[in-house]
Amino acid sequence: MTVFAEYAWLVPVFPVAAFAVLIAMGRGAGRPGAWIGTLATLLSLILSLCIAGERISGKAEDYSAHYHWLQVGNISLSAGYEVTNLTSLMLVIVTLVSFLVNLYSQGYMRDDDRMPTFFAYMGLFTGSMLGLVLADNLLTMYIFWELVGVCSFLLVGFWFHKPEAKAAAKKAFIVTRIGDLGLLIAILLLFWYMPNHALDFSTLHNVFATQSGVIATGITTWIALLIFLGAVGKSGQFPLHVWLPDAMEGPTPISALIHAATMVAAGVFLVARTFDIFQASPAAMHTVAIIGAFTAIFAATIGLAQNDIKRILAYSTISQLGYMMLALGVGSMPAAMFHLFTHAFFKALLFLGAGSIIHGVHTQDIREMGGLGRKMKTTAWTFGIGALALSGIPPFAGFWSKDAILTAALDKQPILFVVGAVAAFFTALYMARLFFLVFTGNPRNDSHAHESPAVMTIPLVVLAVLAVVAGFVQTPFNGWFAEWLTGDKAVEHGSGLVMVVSAAIGLLGVYLGWLIYAKGAIRRDVVSSRMPGLVKLLENKYYIDELYHLLFVKPLYALGKVLNAFDDYVVDGVVRLAGQSATGLGRLNARLQSGQVQAYTLTALIGLVILALAIAGRRFW
Amino acid sequence: MLSFNIQFTGEFIAFFALAVCAIVGAVLALNFTKVVHMTLSLAFTFVSLAGLFVLLGAEFVAFVQVLLYVGAITILMIFGIMMTKHQGEGQEPSRPLRETLAAIGCVCLLLILIYAIRDAKFPGDAAPLPQDTTREIGKLLFTQMAIPFELVSVLLTVAFIGAVALAKREEDPQ
Amino acid sequence: MNMLASYLTLAAVLFCIGLYGVITKRNAIIVLLSIELMLNAVNLNLVAFSKYGVHPSLTGQIFSLFTMTVAAAEAAVGVAILVAIYRNRASVNVDEFDELRR
Repeated sequence: MTVFAEYAWLVPVFPVAAFAVLIAMGRGAGRPGAWIGTLATLLSLILSLCIAGERISGKAEDYSAHYHWLQVGNISLSAGYEVTNLTSLMLVIVTLVSFLVNLYSQGYMRDDDRMPTFFAYMGLFTGSMLGLVLADNLLTMYIFWELVGVCSFLLVGFWFHKPEAKAAAKKAFIVTRIGDLGLLIAILLLFWYMPNHALDFSTLHNVFATQSGVIATGITTWIALLIFLGAVGKSGQFPLHVWLPDAMEGPTPISALIHAATMVAAGVFLVARTFDIFQASPAAMHTVAIIGAFTAIFAATIGLAQNDIKRILAYSTISQLGYMMLALGVGSMPAAMFHLFTHAFFKALLFLGAGSIIHGVHTQDIREMGGLGRKMKTTAWTFGIGALALSGIPPFAGFWSKDAILTAALDKQPILFVVGAVAAFFTALYMARLFFLVFTGNPRNDSHAHESPAVMTIPLVVLAVLAVVAGFVQTPFNGWFAEWLTGDKAVEHGSGLVMVVSAAIGLLGVYLGWLIYAKGAIRRDVVSSRMPGLVKLLENKYYIDELYHLLFVKPLYALGKVLNAFDDYVVDGVVRLAGQSATGLGRLNARLQSGQVQAYTLTALIGLVILALAIAGRRFW
Repeated sequence: MLSFNIQFTGEFIAFFALAVCAIVGAVLALNFTKVVHMTLSLAFTFVSLAGLFVLLGAEFVAFVQVLLYVGAITILMIFGIMMTKHQGEGQEPSRPLRETLAAIGCVCLLLILIYAIRDAKFPGDAAPLPQDTTREIGKLLFTQMAIPFELVSVLLTVAFIGAVALAKREEDPQ
Repeated sequence: MNMLASYLTLAAVLFCIGLYGVITKRNAIIVLLSIELMLNAVNLNLVAFSKYGVHPSLTGQIFSLFTMTVAAAEAAVGVAILVAIYRNRASVNVDEFDELRR
């Protein structure tokens, strides 16, 4: 039964069509026009749910269709789509989050006079991500991959009258470009080495998973690492994470979309989709695991010292994506996808909740908030659920997925487990800090905070429910999710130890945060007074931005200046010289044309002498 | 370069004297400041040239030379001088660049011409011309050269009418 | 060596003096007279060739007669133009005649 899967291509078409219509209508579309975008994502959501339901209930075959796109010599390129359990899961995540964000934006962006443009971009963003998910070969995927990058540029820089937003948009685009280059090289290498230049995922699976030795191990490692570089750029892993916090300059719904469903998930999804290549190369797997674990703890520590509510969430996203990479690196693709699945809900929830707070108090600095719990009840409750889920407190969704990852890590590399557990502690601590500073205590500024309209709170409630229940698809006692995703019966058996440790760590972090920031039992400057250097280091994000500025931006600027000077003085100088010599010659000749017959006669005489000398002179040599 | 094989025949002495007269006249003509003096100096050159024509056995040409140049053209020029004002002659700023360039050009041209003349191969002594050249010229003009002769007469008429039309005082527009 | 080269050299000298006058003199009448001098130098060549040339004949003399006629016509027209210009611009200074530039 593949009734709905055959129409899977319609899923990305709806939002893209909405984009086309909204762009064509321009600003005149007004607020009613924005509903076109929401409606389109709703249609996509319904279709995605149908596809996923079909795949969950029946034993549907993987469905793929493609058409020949280009024929060059005996190489043919095709474009097509493929519906598997993995893609159908991603379809649901993307369309669901996108729909809820769309709905939420109806309220959040109400006063923006470029609202239709916003919804148009969001439609294109969603459509590109859906296309990326559905693509049946790497080339098609790469096209959508770049489209996602373009849309993130457009949306992060949506408020382009703010210089910070412009800079952030450029940074997001340029930094991810580094990763995209790696992915492109990987695709070219694959194209070169694959039999018949095949790039579709089923052939890749065959070559790398079943017929080992077709491609040399060294090349495989290179390809895997380059693909991973692309994922690092898109998913904001260290060392290319710098764009993600800055991308907070965009509208908050966009942050939710980028962090939960579209942009950063693309990197994890890419690795999951090409997982066979990684599994063929142990070195690449190690790299992925180490980078993931390092990013997880690295970003979590930065999150401890930030004061901007959205930046805290951004670093938590980086950290959680690190978890997913860690899971992939230790070979547990289902755990990674599971965390991606749960994370999408609670991170979207957290961002939308943050948006609701910002909407209410018009500031992003958590030191200026406080006591909001009484004024914004729905937001507070849903945000709390999201925070608990992120902190890994049972029985919320984040606990189960994080547990799955930690279990996989413990099986493979105990040290990675320790790193992950410490990162989980920090996660719980900074989420507790965030929650208690914002919602409890006394108000620290005199703004009249108010609850957001229903159109904004409904998505929060829906996501909160999902953040609670989404984890139950895969627990240590119930391996349904992993089985469904991979088709294997063999699932990891959860160990009670990991569950206990992980829950205890989460609770400890939350309790510590409560002690410090809500009850005041421990003074807040207990760390900063003893180790001011450490806090400063964290507040400045380990000076990574400054380091990059020193290492890359400045030398490149200097090089650019040198080249510019070369262009100005040497190239242009030659051009100017040519022009000026022509002008000078013309001026000289103009002076010769004096209108005086005698001057003309003199010129003729000199010419005659020169001619005669030239002719007579020939005799002598 | 100027090492001519000089044979002091009577013809040569006469030629030498007349040539010196012609050149001195021409050079003086360029160095005088007053226009009338220049004109008269050039008339002297023209007379010397008439003498050279006689020396070359072209009595008729010499006659026409005196008649036309000394008689007609010089007088015409003097009339032209009289009809125009010539105050402040020789007081204009000199033009050193143009004069230097002109001198260099002329000297170069002269050297080239002399080189060409020295280089050219001429046959030996000439065959004698008919004694009565005037009669022969008359015969030729009215037989062989009749058409050019008539054309020249037309040209003279046209030039005459044109000169009158040009020099005529234009009538007042009122 | 015969007399021909001497005559030709003399003619060249006169021609160059005339040319120098044409180029450097400001007074239009002197310029016209310098042109006459150059024509006369040519006449001297023609007559010299009619006696000492490769084919001595009277044609050279006849040609020089024609040249003189043309020179006379030229002088007449030249003086007429000069008078006409002088009437318009009150000057016979060649420097000030730059009508060719307009």
